[in-house]
Amino acid sequence: MTSGCSFEGCTVAETGICALGREPEVCENRTDATTAPLDGATIATPGISDFHGAPVLDRPRTSVPFPPSYTLGPDALAPLMASRYFTVVGILGEPNSGKTACLASLYLLAANASLQDWKYADSKSLMGLEDIARGARVWNGGSPPLQMTQHTEVSDDRRAGFLHLRLASERSGSKVDLALPDLPGEWTTKLITHGQSDRFEFLKRADVLWIVVDGRVLMDPERRQGAITRLGQLAGRIDALFEGRPPRALVVVTRRDMHEIDSAVGERLLGEIRRKGVDARLVPVAPFSETPNVRAGFGLTELVALTTGDDAGRPGFWPDAAADESSRSYLQYRRGT
Amino acid sequence: MSRSVILIGGPDSGKTNYVGRVWPALDSGGGMLRISKQPGDISFVLDVTDHLNAGTFAPRTDRGDARRDFEVAVATRDGVETSIVIPDISGELWAKAVREGELPTDWMEALRQAQGALLFVRVQSDQNVRALDWVTSKALMSKARKADATKIPTQVVLCELLRFLEVSLAPSAEGERPRVAIVVTAWDAIDSEVFEKGPTAWLEREYPLFGGRIRDCENLDLKVFGLSVVGGDLKTDAACRAAVQDTGLDGLGWVAIEGEDGMWHRLGDLTAPVAWAIGA
Repeated sequence: MTSGCSFEGCTVAETGICALGREPEVCENRTDATTAPLDGATIATPGISDFHGAPVLDRPRTSVPFPPSYTLGPDALAPLMASRYFTVVGILGEPNSGKTACLASLYLLAANASLQDWKYADSKSLMGLEDIARGARVWNGGSPPLQMTQHTEVSDDRRAGFLHLRLASERSGSKVDLALPDLPGEWTTKLITHGQSDRFEFLKRADVLWIVVDGRVLMDPERRQGAITRLGQLAGRIDALFEGRPPRALVVVTRRDMHEIDSAVGERLLGEIRRKGVDARLVPVAPFSETPNVRAGFGLTELVALTTGDDAGRPGFWPDAAADESSRSYLQYRRGT
Repeated sequence: MSRSVILIGGPDSGKTNYVGRVWPALDSGGGMLRISKQPGDISFVLDVTDHLNAGTFAPRTDRGDARRDFEVAVATRDGVETSIVIPDISGELWAKAVREGELPTDWMEALRQAQGALLFVRVQSDQNVRALDWVTSKALMSKARKADATKIPTQVVLCELLRFLEVSLAPSAEGERPRVAIVVTAWDAIDSEVFEKGPTAWLEREYPLFGGRIRDCENLDLKVFGLSVVGGDLKTDAACRAAVQDTGLDGLGWVAIEGEDGMWHRLGDLTAPVAWAIGA
């Protein structure tokens, strides 16, 4: 018999189920359910757990996490980079330049098998890419992080860290692993204005830089020259960060769907960046499109090709070392010509 | 020796109907695996088989985190006896695991103890979620934090489930990679041209992320199967339903397997995916 029940053999306390098949709250054998309070205050009708011997709390059900597949911190990226070659991309750009749009559109191209010449192979940060494309995460409640996330963890907030994308070339079958940092634009602004470069240490491992620029700014006569000046200053910071040996840079001009950059403006922009010692090339892109003439994702295939070196103009592994008979270099040297 | 094979897949992916069909296949004894000893509790599989015998598919399992294990002693054609445990876990639990990145402790234990797995995806399921496109993505990105209600695309769920298996299943005692059979169910619903190309090509076309992941997976031994539990759609194919009701499940249903010639063939042995997964 359970305390609180007059029926011999009551099983409510042990199992929660009445041995007579009745509802415990209204069973006529119940002895303590209708006790009136002495002071007249109302008290809730006791439930099953109020019986003596019943557990006070439900046993919590524990869960075991899987390794997350959100943004990767340097700790998570290091063993991956030790196992195979990763192309690290340094992505720089001021707020609203279109960095996140480029990452989201690149992911959508892979997810819809629309990345010309490339197929998706893997991502260790697939949920991070999916969340960015869904706009499901924002920087910590609108406050961008101050440092790269050191340890990968699950969070509702977007963390500064790397996104991984492994692509397979349809032409050669070779695979490339891209490590794409997802960083707030404020970091680039601080790098330009204050030279705050300590949190960009990871950039020193970068194979290529993406300098992302909002194409609308370059089309606006009032903002154009100021933007070019700031990009020149950014190039100077980059040159200093890399101690005079910066990697090649791709100037990614977004909003190609709205505007096509004027060649003179492009030359002026590249001239300003090259003047600071950074080798740069323009890549107009349209991560999203508002016009039917330019498809969403325009330019991103070329961006991947240039990033991975498919079209980087690198010297051949076995360059042609045959002597050029016509140049007569030795004799020419003697003549001082 | 006891081997555990785990069934994994999202809601409405065909796991439960396969369990209900593989039981009579094991019982009839004509396949790669046959029952060597009558199991004790077969109420779960009988429930599902009853649905199939009645000419209807078993309804979607909306049991939250409820679990029903099907344990049976089987023997291979070579006479090697083994006990297989097939925990049938609801698809909703796996979908939740992908959303939240974690699994209840007892389920995680079942996953880690498994020697192999069957990963299910169903053709034409109304539960399948298409990949994001640029129009949707742009709308979502412009309204930060409004996207929680949107479902995770099926191909992302499949990639994540494969990742869960990759990090959880242990290599065999001989050091061989764990085996995962990817089972494309309702394979009878596709036309002959798609059948000839096979379920691998179908996965690559429908789910580019998952198709790429299959090609790139190095830590698991993967094999793709097409599956039809009764050879037709019991909802729409009156002849198929009548055949089941008239003659029972014997001889109905098949597995599509890629032969050494690269062609896809129908095989009447419904135990083939489980047999392959346990290395029989």
